[in-house]
Amino acid sequence: MSIAAAVLDAVRAEAGRRPGSRVSRAGLRIGELSGVQADSLRFCLEALVSGTDMEPLAFDFELLPWTRKCKQCGQTFRVVDYQPACPACGSHDTEAAGGDEMELSYVEVEEPDARAAGTEGPQRE
Amino acid sequence: MRVPLERKVLNENDRIAGRLRERYKSYGTFCLNLISSPGSGKTALLERTLGLFDPARRVAVVTGDIQTDNDARRLARFGFPVRQITTGGACHLDAGMVERALVEWPEDFEILFVENVGNLVCPTSYDLGEEARAVLLSVTEGEDKPLKYPATFHHADVMVLNKIDLLPYVPFKVDLALENARRVQPGIEILQVSCTTGEGLDGWRAWIEAHL
Repeated sequence: MSIAAAVLDAVRAEAGRRPGSRVSRAGLRIGELSGVQADSLRFCLEALVSGTDMEPLAFDFELLPWTRKCKQCGQTFRVVDYQPACPACGSHDTEAAGGDEMELSYVEVEEPDARAAGTEGPQRE
Repeated sequence: MRVPLERKVLNENDRIAGRLRERYKSYGTFCLNLISSPGSGKTALLERTLGLFDPARRVAVVTGDIQTDNDARRLARFGFPVRQITTGGACHLDAGMVERALVEWPEDFEILFVENVGNLVCPTSYDLGEEARAVLLSVTEGEDKPLKYPATFHHADVMVLNKIDLLPYVPFKVDLALENARRVQPGIEILQVSCTTGEGLDGWRAWIEAHL
């Protein structure tokens, strides 16, 4: 829940930088090793947004795999069934490469001013 | 209009953790974040650990719980400064809570133990500025905990297997537990201890001293 609150703080901060606009969609990148379960996070986000002026706000989740990099052959591979050895060369000399991500990757912003400008036509003195 | 951000969700926590890390570095403090399920023996390990150190040494503890200051009271009798963080519902410590707990304390601790809230999930995501992270597993739990909570074990520097005095009475397979931990984190150091008999605590103390 506190992670969901942190996501919404970041969304609000972004909206605050663009007066008059509203955020309609937020994109999240969640790694397999981040400690966050995407479904639970979505549930918490929707619960926090419900009934507030942030509604409607949609969320897109990009789930990123747990990966390691082989220090022998350089191959980056997805860790399947907790197997840390390199599938290409069999080496156990591998290091963490990805899966920790917990990022707000983008927001989609609606600019009401832009829409209004299109219908009002050019301004005159 | 899509605005790319690439912003870490917990960047505010990470910013405070960075400040704590600078502070620890400038005073030469070794900060250890202890994480485990409830009941694995974090507080018992800290009691035993504090008992190993000369009271003249500059050792301190910050301990987190959802409610009660029982742990702080258990730990205070060793004569080292102890602060309780009562999170009032939050299932983890964050860097801001630790920073607030350190206010008005002298800064030049040699060792700062941070006992996280008992939980194998959420504490993982929160950097507390620590230099090392320890995860405890006890032999009354399942050998597959590293596989069930891979993020926590993956981010740990050391796994302390606790309650090994109970091994004759429980079906826990030590080899399997160690193998599971190494599958999730091949570089993890592993220590086996009993806070009841004291077995293995010399090795644990040596591990801590090696980081000072």
